[in-house]
Amino acid sequence: MSDFLKYLSTAPVLMTAWLSLTTGFILFINYVYPDPLIFPSF
Amino acid sequence: MHKKREGVVVQLVRALPCHGRSCGFESRQLRVIRYVSYNSRTDNYSTSLNFLTTFNIYSMKLNFQPLFSKLFSIFLFSMVIFNTDLKSAHADFNNLTPCKDSAAFQKRLTSSVKKLENRLKLYTPESKEAVFLKNEITATKTRFERYGNSGLLCGKEGLPRIIATGQWDHANEFVIPGILFIYITGWIGWVGRKYLRYASTTENSFENEIIINVPIALPIINSGFLWPIEAWKEFTSGDLLADTDNVTISPR
Repeated sequence: MSDFLKYLSTAPVLMTAWLSLTTGFILFINYVYPDPLIFPSF
Repeated sequence: MHKKREGVVVQLVRALPCHGRSCGFESRQLRVIRYVSYNSRTDNYSTSLNFLTTFNIYSMKLNFQPLFSKLFSIFLFSMVIFNTDLKSAHADFNNLTPCKDSAAFQKRLTSSVKKLENRLKLYTPESKEAVFLKNEITATKTRFERYGNSGLLCGKEGLPRIIATGQWDHANEFVIPGILFIYITGWIGWVGRKYLRYASTTENSFENEIIINVPIALPIINSGFLWPIEAWKEFTSGDLLADTDNVTISPR
């Protein structure tokens, strides 16, 4: 188990996981609020 | 025409053989001096630039006290900020019209919707494609409505323009996203630096850079939102910048 955690902590694996989350987050924002051209003023 | 430049011959004799990269004939220091002497003769560049490079030479030669050079750089930076011509920041946009009132903008809306409606005619109303196209039509209408209501200015061809002069009534077009960008990138850079500094204190620092110590890294990432304050604190305490002696330079 500890070896597996170590594998997950290696920079490329962690990077892939992290960027997947970021991509998902940006995709979600664009789905909820499409075509943002300016910063929305609420 | 071509005047003799001081110091070059000496450097040619002293120069190291070229091994792929960084095979300059002169050291970095000499290049700066030549640049300035060229500058002062022809006066091609602004005096402020000349002043900056001259300062660099003197700080290199005389090795000013770190605090003094820091204060001086803050002073120079503020000069750059406050000396910039602010006239353009309050320009009138006579050649732009608010998108809401722009006929070309409305024309773009009708033509976009029409194109989609023409495609819609090709499909039966219950089909997947028809539903998709109907959604596209509503999305297009909302998009144009939103751009129109948000105070954007349009050009003659009816396309919205982002005003990047920094004035407050158009701040949400460039200034706020720009500040956000700097804040987020600063956050990323700051926590990366903090983690690397942590890793350099550990026993096997290289391993800590390849295999991330997640329990240490996560609190660092989360605490990064205060990076402008932390950076300022480190700057004033002298921890942000490395000493000149610690910065590696190419062999002379």
